[in-house]
Amino acid sequence: MIGTSHRRIRALVLQELYLTRHSVEIFFDTLFFPLMSVILFGLIMHFFGQVEQSTNAQYLLIGILLWQIISVSQYNITVSSLWSVWSHNLTNIFIAPISVKEYISAHIIASFIRTFSIFIFLAGGTYLLFDFSILNIGILNFIFAFINLSLFAWWLGYILLGYIFRYGTRIQAIAWGAIFLFQPLTASFFPVSTLPGWLQTVAYALPPTYVFESARKSIVTPGIYWNYVVIALAMNVAYSIFGLFIFKRLFRRSKETGQFARNDL
Amino acid sequence: MSENILEVKDLVKNYDSYRAVDNISFSIKKGQVLGLLGPNGAGKSTTIQILVGVTLPTSGKISYFRKDFFKHPQESLQRINFASAYNTLQGRITVKENLLVFAGLYQVKDPMNRISELLEYFEIRRLADHKYWDLSAGERTRVNLVKAMLNNPELILMDEPTASLDPDIADKTLSLIEELRRDRNISILFTSHNMSEVARICDEVIFLDKGRIVSKDTPQNHTKKLKEVEVKIKHKNNKIEVEEILKKEGLDFEIRPKNMAVIKTSNEKIAELIAKLNDKKIVIIDLEIRKPSLEDVFLEIARNKK
Repeated sequence: MIGTSHRRIRALVLQELYLTRHSVEIFFDTLFFPLMSVILFGLIMHFFGQVEQSTNAQYLLIGILLWQIISVSQYNITVSSLWSVWSHNLTNIFIAPISVKEYISAHIIASFIRTFSIFIFLAGGTYLLFDFSILNIGILNFIFAFINLSLFAWWLGYILLGYIFRYGTRIQAIAWGAIFLFQPLTASFFPVSTLPGWLQTVAYALPPTYVFESARKSIVTPGIYWNYVVIALAMNVAYSIFGLFIFKRLFRRSKETGQFARNDL
Repeated sequence: MSENILEVKDLVKNYDSYRAVDNISFSIKKGQVLGLLGPNGAGKSTTIQILVGVTLPTSGKISYFRKDFFKHPQESLQRINFASAYNTLQGRITVKENLLVFAGLYQVKDPMNRISELLEYFEIRRLADHKYWDLSAGERTRVNLVKAMLNNPELILMDEPTASLDPDIADKTLSLIEELRRDRNISILFTSHNMSEVARICDEVIFLDKGRIVSKDTPQNHTKKLKEVEVKIKHKNNKIEVEEILKKEGLDFEIRPKNMAVIKTSNEKIAELIAKLNDKKIVIIDLEIRKPSLEDVFLEIARNKK
């Protein structure tokens, strides 16, 4: 048996970094568009700050900044694999002796590197342009938020990727579109209580809801809301296991139906 | 010959009610070049996809180096490689970057040196810093071959590696494959639609049709199975006179313009036929004998004449 190899993981991470360097689309998708969203919401916050409570206005900027962690991380998981599909290179990668575990690990590492770098840039920009620091929610709160939102984006990304492997590029739009379903559902810009009752139940079944709620609460009353942190972490761990199970099933099924090889043609 | 590098036993692949691969078995020995031929839909690509693990079979057994492929996929894949005209490398990054990624995936020792050596061998060192999608089809084929050689494989599966190449580049690519085989004693599983390529480089050819192996032999023996030979003559006689003589002799023939006639006979009867035509005072000024090629065997199978 050949065990997990750091060299193989590093090779795939390297490919992602090479792609980032050479691709204008990745620059626009993961840096330019998020930056524009943050600037737009910063201006909206500035406007609302003049007419109503500044904490309510800050919710918007916290929401959009933290949302970028989900958006960029999930993009990096799902769309990165699509770059290989579009280049007809995916089967070449899986013909190499790489395991699914190594493939997933590599994409998670590459996703973390990209998301963290981009987030620092966005948070720095927000501080300079709007005099708002994301660390106002508390450093520990921010660290847990980053972990929980990344975990959510990763398992969701792998489920979506599994469906793309299984059904091919005809459903590739879910790679960048499906995430927006979760923007209202996780109450990223407003308190959960704003949602209708039955949607609140759905919202509380999603880990990011707890992250956004605790971030908003900590602006008003500083502190760590451990119950929210623990619930989100526990949900993420459970959903990650479930996500991997789904991904592996869909991956296997795509090999059984021949779709996996056809994806590359 | 020596040990089997690859053994395929009773391989079956069903897509719902359609059977793409129907109970095929074959093996490849060290240093052997085996051709997999057949019309579109014969099951060649599906077989190759199963052999490299990107499609799962319905049933059957595959062993590389005497080990079950499905139990030891990584070990097997570490010792083989794949080149195809249809699977390319990452288009947006450079040739060297692509090769460094694959060198990492195959855990190649001293990757920079290995890449340099192979780029030199395939005479494409100048392309190292070019983006892959800026390369011509011929250059891409060479880069794909460099990728396929990175891990010093004992077996390369080549799925139509010369498809879409012009004849000159295809010939050069084949020469490189021949060289590889000669220099490094690599086993190759080769699929192509080009029969002359297959006849040129394969030791043995398997004909697939509707997922089944319909014939397995050396290219020479395959062509010997087709008895029919075409004898094309150019004569000085009157066209009607020649037609009558050939008809009277009971020959299978075709009269063509410009004093030409094509007569179908068997290899053994060529001399007898010429003598007979001579006896009948047919003055032959040019003669061409066309023996069956692998292409004729392919056409026979494709048209289900067998």
